[in-house]
Amino acid sequence: MQKVITINLNGQAYQLDEPAFDALLAYFARAEEQLHDNPDRAEIMTDLEQAIAEKCVPYLGPRKTVVTAAEIAQILQEMGPVDGGRPNDGARRESATGSAGAGRTDAHAPKRLYLIREGAMIAGVCNGIAAYFNVDPTIIRIIFVGLALLTKGFWILAYVVLAIVIPTATTSEERAAAQGVPFTAQELIDRAKRKIDAKFKRPRWRWRPRASWSRPPSPPAGYATRVFAGFMVPVLSLANAVIFWLFAYILVSLIATRQAFGDRLPDDWPLWAGILMAAVIYNAVVWPLHAARRASYYAVAGDRHGAVEAWDGAMSFGFSVVIVWLAYRYVPEVHQLIDALPAVWESFRDRTI
Amino acid sequence: MGVDEKFSAIRKGLLEFLILRIVATDKVYVADILERLSSTEFATQEGTLYPLLSKMRREGLVDYEWQESDAGPPRKYYELTPKGRAQLGELDAYWKEINRTIGQLGR
Repeated sequence: MQKVITINLNGQAYQLDEPAFDALLAYFARAEEQLHDNPDRAEIMTDLEQAIAEKCVPYLGPRKTVVTAAEIAQILQEMGPVDGGRPNDGARRESATGSAGAGRTDAHAPKRLYLIREGAMIAGVCNGIAAYFNVDPTIIRIIFVGLALLTKGFWILAYVVLAIVIPTATTSEERAAAQGVPFTAQELIDRAKRKIDAKFKRPRWRWRPRASWSRPPSPPAGYATRVFAGFMVPVLSLANAVIFWLFAYILVSLIATRQAFGDRLPDDWPLWAGILMAAVIYNAVVWPLHAARRASYYAVAGDRHGAVEAWDGAMSFGFSVVIVWLAYRYVPEVHQLIDALPAVWESFRDRTI
Repeated sequence: MGVDEKFSAIRKGLLEFLILRIVATDKVYVADILERLSSTEFATQEGTLYPLLSKMRREGLVDYEWQESDAGPPRKYYELTPKGRAQLGELDAYWKEINRTIGQLGR
């Protein structure tokens, strides 16, 4: 199941699935860059469009109206990288993408602080800060949780303020700026390639289509797929919430008692090593879950996935409340821990400060 | 470094010469040129050929005219200009010269 995009290649309409569209965009972006100071740029671009269009024809028939990503990849492979004859352009470049752009001057793209929603826990503040300082978001999250505890919750207010004040990275340029990656056509290609490799994952970026390229509303996914995805959304959401609170419990328990679920941290291990290990395991477990969640949003609602995402967020919160309440009520360890939290906290603060 | 790689710059340099030779035989469409080259050491791709042809047209060596095609939009058919023909003559002579030099050197 894929979103379909209709494009106009030299006067003819073609339908591509989304990864194919992105790969094509990246190819043209790269070509435009190569031909930057070529007086015939517009004409060559038209030639390329027509050549690609003609190569699409054999892949289409009365029963097959959409060009897939694999087919576009094949076509672009046949087309070969556009050789603008730029001075630093080596010989023929079959495997060209790796070296291109390496010697360019924009290696130090300015870095800007943005909220990054992809893979965010709440609003993407920690994610954005992590990207800005080029560290793992989990580390920033742990620091934030620590700060929130240290300041008796006051830091949560600071978080809310940050979430409001920092702009969200919505365009791919902004995303690139948030990561400090130079936003070149090369970057587009690399990302497009990664995306073809991982077809089922939702696109992490979107390029603004050229004015003449229309993006009609995508047809809904097949009914069975949508029902399945609709069923999976709450399941994944619940799984995510359970794992998150399990992780939170393990963290707090480690800090408070150096043990979790009866497993003691070895005495010669520092506390931070235990926390780090828990964080790494947590991330490894949660990452595929996140990917699956995102994919299910798209399956359920296509273009209007935002609504599903919001609903899922609310659901996650609800699950969280229920989980914490259940754990408090039925798991004596958790009960004791939560009751002992203020005291634990005082002792932790006295030890660290 | 393989033989193929050692001559890659030479092949690239000779491409324009070969295109002149191919265009000299007939009015050709880009796909024809690619087809003619495809089974040779000089196999190339649209991404290289279109910019090269446009450069050659700017230099006045080739020109094209639009011709209707059965399948799809009209196509550009390339042909040599008098200047291109003259240059092809010079290149041909020079290439023979190079070949003779290579033959005389060594062995």
